[in-house]
Amino acid sequence: MKKYFLIGTIIAGGLLVGCGAGNNNPGYSYMPDMAYSVAYETYAPTDALQKAGVSSYNGLPVEGTVAQDDDLGFVYPYKNDSLGYALSKNVKNPLDTVANVDLKEAERLYEINCGICHGSKLDGNGPLFNGGNGPYTAAPKNFMDKDVIALADGTMYHSITYGIRAMGSYASQLKPIQRWEIIKFIRSKQGKTATAAAASDSTAAK
Amino acid sequence: MTNYKYILNRLTLIMITLFAVTVSASIAQDSTKAAGGNSAGIEEGKQLFTSKCQACHSGDMKSNSIGPALGGIEAQWDDKGKLHEWIRNNIALTASGYPKAVEVSKLTPVVMTPFEDLTDAQIDNILAYIDAKFTGKLDQPAPAAGAAKPATSESQNNWIFAIVTLVLALIAITLMFVNRRLKRLANDVEGIPTVEPLPFFRNKVYLATIGIILFTVSGYYFSKAMINMNRQIHYEPLQPIFYSHKVHAGINQINCLYCHGNAWESKTAAIPSVNVCMNCHKTIQKYNGEQLTDASGAMVDGTAEIQKLFKYAGFDPQNPNNWDESKAKPIEWVKIHNLPDHVYFNHSQHVRVGNVQCQTCHGEVTAMNEVTQFAELSMGWCVNCHRQTAVNFNKDAGSGNQFYSIYEKFHNDIKSGKMDSVTVKDIGGIECQKCHY
Repeated sequence: MKKYFLIGTIIAGGLLVGCGAGNNNPGYSYMPDMAYSVAYETYAPTDALQKAGVSSYNGLPVEGTVAQDDDLGFVYPYKNDSLGYALSKNVKNPLDTVANVDLKEAERLYEINCGICHGSKLDGNGPLFNGGNGPYTAAPKNFMDKDVIALADGTMYHSITYGIRAMGSYASQLKPIQRWEIIKFIRSKQGKTATAAAASDSTAAK
Repeated sequence: MTNYKYILNRLTLIMITLFAVTVSASIAQDSTKAAGGNSAGIEEGKQLFTSKCQACHSGDMKSNSIGPALGGIEAQWDDKGKLHEWIRNNIALTASGYPKAVEVSKLTPVVMTPFEDLTDAQIDNILAYIDAKFTGKLDQPAPAAGAAKPATSESQNNWIFAIVTLVLALIAITLMFVNRRLKRLANDVEGIPTVEPLPFFRNKVYLATIGIILFTVSGYYFSKAMINMNRQIHYEPLQPIFYSHKVHAGINQINCLYCHGNAWESKTAAIPSVNVCMNCHKTIQKYNGEQLTDASGAMVDGTAEIQKLFKYAGFDPQNPNNWDESKAKPIEWVKIHNLPDHVYFNHSQHVRVGNVQCQTCHGEVTAMNEVTQFAELSMGWCVNCHRQTAVNFNKDAGSGNQFYSIYEKFHNDIKSGKMDSVTVKDIGGIECQKCHY
């Protein structure tokens, strides 16, 4: 009798040890209805919505809407085509009129989103490209180049929003104000070389 | 009856001997551990390094990151005091014109953050950790013992103790039998009839002892299993694509926030949509790095995994310019870190306000091919960190979260009569999310 009791305890213990998670197995929970959300969680599949006839849901904001904290009073008017690209140079940076742009925050954003290809030094040689030795084969633009310095703010904004050449769109990663902040940051870095270049240009013109 | 008493006496003796041996063994182990290079200091150094330095300096101490590699840093600085000064306030030291500081300040374009609140002991611990990590001491199973003792590893010690215990137990049992034999002989001589001993499976003392041991051991595993239910530590599910964090975030140094940018902004850390993958993979169509292996050790073809991504994205590598992003299908990644539904956790509150490094909770993701759950995500684990973590208000230096500065303002306004009371609205009571999250 005692023996069976002991053997039973050991087997039960062993089974319960098997309830833990590991590899492909998430393990068991005491009360699954309290552990796993009944309501829709972030990134939950939306098949049920579609079955219920809510087919218009695509996870994108309604066209023309502006996020509440994006208080720039600014809607980018151009589409992703060559005409939009050409016209984009007329768009002014709305942060031009704002004193004290947070360049530290802009630098943080640049390092995360841009620096990986364009480099911390803005020289178009980030770790992914690494002078051609990295996995990324297309050479990223060197922001210190004369033609980028001459590029209009609006055109840079157009490129960040829609992507250009090998570069993809960063609209899903950067809010409009963040895109403008990054442009401000690039300008502030270019500033030092730009004044030097402008000086040499003006002497050449004379 | 006397026989029982003898056996009982002997059993107690054996138990005590075994217990003493085990205890002395564990004490001996602890002392060798303590002698092996101040592991508590290195542990503190590791925590400080992870929270303060690793955001910029690579954790392997060998590769340059935002900040330069730190391996062998102490040898590079002649004056240890100046190195401490540099860590506390490198800007001031550079401004003072100290030649090594000026030289180091030119290494990277990013100016190092000053850490003025670090004490000498803390900096020493960080430096000890850097040295231990760089020289590979930490990767050995045990810290090397003191110079007087020859270096023996912990597992070797365990073997020695096991053998000693076994030998002692054998001696004790042999002595017990000899004792019983002698007793019987003595009884025979004196003419006292000997009671034939019971077989062990009917001997109540044996049965009780075995029962207690089994109960304790199985009880330990049983309660441990019950406590760990629904804690998914070490959960490592198969994902639809073999995505290696080691290749992306480790070798190629892509910032965590590049893909999981929402960790800075919102409750969830964001699983990147396919277009974020395609930012790079439009160009990177082949995997040329070192051979990847999955958890079971099987080879993984990186290029084939990238092809799987292209399938989801609806991207044809032969015809890249005709790619229609809107036709992409989401990849159904398996969620690893699950909190129970009754727990509210906000990433931005930790990452942005609290300045907690991703690695603190998620482990060294930059070294994981397939992500496995590193922390147990239990309440005790959360509470423990909340007990120990110092809040960085630091509103004067501009680096802190500055959240409570508003309370200071209210306090002053009430004092000076500008306000007569602070309403719930003033402290964020009509923010939508206070009730509707």
